[in-house]
Amino acid sequence: MARRPRKIRRRRLLWGSALGLLLLAIAGCAVYIYYIDRSVTLQFQGRRWTLPAQVYAAPLELYAGAPLSMTDLVAELARLQYRMSAKLDRPGTFRRQDERIDIALRATRFADEMRPAQMLTIVAGARSIEALRDGSGHDIPVLRLDPLLIGSIFPTHGEDRIVVAPADVPALLPAALKAVEDRKFDTHHGVDPEAVIRALWVDLRSHQIAQGGSTLTQQLVKSYFLDSRQTMGRKLNEALMAMALEAHFSKSDLMNAYINEIYLGQDGDRAVHGFGLASQFYFGKPLGELDLAELSLLVALVRGPSYYDPRHHPERALARRNLVLKLMVDLKVISPEDAASATSRPLGVTTRAAGAYYPSYLDFVRRTLRRDYADSDLTQEGLKIYTSLEPRAQDEAEQTLDRELARLERSRAATTASLDGAVVITAPASGDVIAIVGGRRIGYSGFNRALDAARPMGSVVKPFVYLTALETHRYTPASIVQDAPVDIRMSNGTHWRPLNFTRQIYGPVPLVRALAESMNLATVAVGMDVGVTHVAQTLQRFGLERAPAQVPALLLGAVNATPLDVAQLYTGLANGGYRMPLRAVRTVLSASGAPLKAFPLQLTAIADPEVVFEVDEMMQQVIERGTGRAARGVLPRDVVVVGKSGTTQDLRDSWFAGFSGSHLAVVWVGYDDNRPTGFTGAAAALAIWSRVLADLGTTSWSAAMPESLNEVSIDYFTGLQIEGACANADTIRIGVPPSTQLAKKPGCIAAAAPSPAGRLVERLRAIIQQ
Amino acid sequence: MIVRIAILLVVVVLAGCRSLLSSERPPSAAVETPTPTAPSAAPAPAAPVPAPTAPVRQFRLGSAASALVTQAHARVAAGDYAAATATLERALRIEPENPLVWIALGRVQLAAGNAAQGDSMGHKALGLGTGDPNAQSAAWHLIADSLIARGRNQEASTASARADALVPH
Repeated sequence: MARRPRKIRRRRLLWGSALGLLLLAIAGCAVYIYYIDRSVTLQFQGRRWTLPAQVYAAPLELYAGAPLSMTDLVAELARLQYRMSAKLDRPGTFRRQDERIDIALRATRFADEMRPAQMLTIVAGARSIEALRDGSGHDIPVLRLDPLLIGSIFPTHGEDRIVVAPADVPALLPAALKAVEDRKFDTHHGVDPEAVIRALWVDLRSHQIAQGGSTLTQQLVKSYFLDSRQTMGRKLNEALMAMALEAHFSKSDLMNAYINEIYLGQDGDRAVHGFGLASQFYFGKPLGELDLAELSLLVALVRGPSYYDPRHHPERALARRNLVLKLMVDLKVISPEDAASATSRPLGVTTRAAGAYYPSYLDFVRRTLRRDYADSDLTQEGLKIYTSLEPRAQDEAEQTLDRELARLERSRAATTASLDGAVVITAPASGDVIAIVGGRRIGYSGFNRALDAARPMGSVVKPFVYLTALETHRYTPASIVQDAPVDIRMSNGTHWRPLNFTRQIYGPVPLVRALAESMNLATVAVGMDVGVTHVAQTLQRFGLERAPAQVPALLLGAVNATPLDVAQLYTGLANGGYRMPLRAVRTVLSASGAPLKAFPLQLTAIADPEVVFEVDEMMQQVIERGTGRAARGVLPRDVVVVGKSGTTQDLRDSWFAGFSGSHLAVVWVGYDDNRPTGFTGAAAALAIWSRVLADLGTTSWSAAMPESLNEVSIDYFTGLQIEGACANADTIRIGVPPSTQLAKKPGCIAAAAPSPAGRLVERLRAIIQQ
Repeated sequence: MIVRIAILLVVVVLAGCRSLLSSERPPSAAVETPTPTAPSAAPAPAAPVPAPTAPVRQFRLGSAASALVTQAHARVAAGDYAAATATLERALRIEPENPLVWIALGRVQLAAGNAAQGDSMGHKALGLGTGDPNAQSAAWHLIADSLIARGRNQEASTASARADALVPH
């Protein structure tokens, strides 16, 4: 009797707890789904892709007279991925007819304005632009081409993207994605059961979980919310999340999110996300300009960006692209004729080497901005950064460095590709840094020698020794100094006995020749006379950040500087005694285009223009007669440039620094491990320096002589004043202060050189005649 | 203030034109109609190498730089000094050795409250303008105004006097 009720009771308990458990499970499930739904919705609603800052090069300025040939213009348009098209039917195209080029310019945002798409006609001669006209044939005085996108500053996890708005997306792209990835996208609720069953069947047969069966929404969820591991639990989660998204967001919202989110390639540390960036990464132009074949290739990549990488596996990529085209025909998205013509097209991806990717320069941009911005601002806020980079100069410098280093190595049968170097090029008048090459491996973001290789300056320091001497007004460029043995007792009791590079002793020489031929003994004599302390102060005044050790060896360049430091120091010499901070960044805009920060040009007077002019003229003789002579064989005869070579102990560092009217360049060559190179500054760095300047079509250094100086003729070797008929090949003309008394070369008849009073009369007459 | 700066900028442009008008070249080489054979970007120094007697030069703005100075002028009138500066820096990249561009840039710096830069740019223009009394006079005027803005009236009147000595009113 007692057993039955107990049994019933037990059964009831069992049912009860089962029911309870079930209810609990249902409640748990409901809570879980609610939780998923809420969190997915909230996260997605407030979605903000982290937007790496986009970095732009300086736009090319076009105007009548600009020194750009037709070849230069076509090369620049190619760099900007403008396409030749006779029809000229959309922005980003151009056509060429003899000396005339018509361009359909893209709408472009510059640092200071937004310019709508417009037509432009350029008439170009052999060496310069002759005329610019707008679409209706009116002359345009000046106009900029688009600034080239040169890269972005992405976070350490490497996700880089360019977000596109639905209006920027060609209608064909969503259609193609649906055709290839998710035919029922418009009607399903996040999952496509039929596709799942089909995929499951394949999975079961192959005993592994393969890709497939995922809707676009599921792919979006996986990329946006989950990591890439594929487990059954995750699959379920993914499906739930996809359904949640579908319940709350429109199909067009989801499609746009997908287009911006999906992973489409890898570039070193950088993960290429979204079709906007992929378009730039593979084709170098905006998504809106892609044709059917190009768009189909990007769609093909969705399935496996590395497996179908068009740069590494072009056959696979081509086969899959053509499959995408075929699927689009099957679904009547495109006509068979269009597909056939697209199928016959090559892949058309840009090559990496020609791509706009300048890590050394970007490195400098990043360092400049770190002073003002947190890393997260740079990597997440979508800033637009406008720089001074000139792609033409940068490409030229990169190629010349590698080519010349290879030539030097061949000449010495040196170990291949271990000699390295760096190049910095600036526009001296504005302080714009237009090119930075941090090493020989182009496009490789390793050790940036231009910014980080702090090496002894060697003789490139000498102009500052002579400048300090001229500032005392006890010296002029024509002063006679003694190049004689030097013996300096150091505070620790040792003796310093430097030698000339040639091991020769030259005796009395004019200051200009001592600098031109880089005489060590004469330089030390002058430097010791004016004081090492003063020379050190001069260097700091011109922009050397660290105070150099005040030892006599400073006079011969025992002070470490990077190529960028040297460029900063020489800027004051190129600018008539004004220092200006070297700038890579001109302007920073917010994601919406509001100006955030500008780096305007800033001048600080640091030396008398007269003294700087004298030093510059002395450096002109370095090129004409001194250690820089070899440059004359490379540069056009009539182009005046000034500069100074530098070589350090045992030929470890080879330097050349100098400038023309339009460019200032610093070149360093050496080994990273500081081995001797076997090359002087004149042998290695100068060859690169002069080749780069020649290829850039640099203009003459043509500073006007300050009115407070007097031009005299002297004998280069002796410094004796030359008058009238005595002038010969050794005579140089040089500016000196008017009070300068010069010894005259004996045996010459004094010609009628105008006296200061005579000059004044001449000037007054000239003014009156106006 | 803005109006004053705008007027000063116009003066700068006119200074370029005036020096042109006073030259012996026919007026067909005016700023508005550059001859296609002579690249308008380059200032026309009387001699490439400084001769013992200081050559008399007449700087003028090429058509590109002239258009940019005019645009900068409009931006100053709108109170946007940063944009005006950016525009003048474009002109400077085209004609880095033309003192008239430096004077225009210095004027904007001065207007934007950066008198020290106005002063420096005036001196820079003075050096570049060697041999051109009009350009040098305009540079001295900029220096004088920059000195006044910094309360250095004594030096300013000296600078003004030098400007007037070069080009009397």
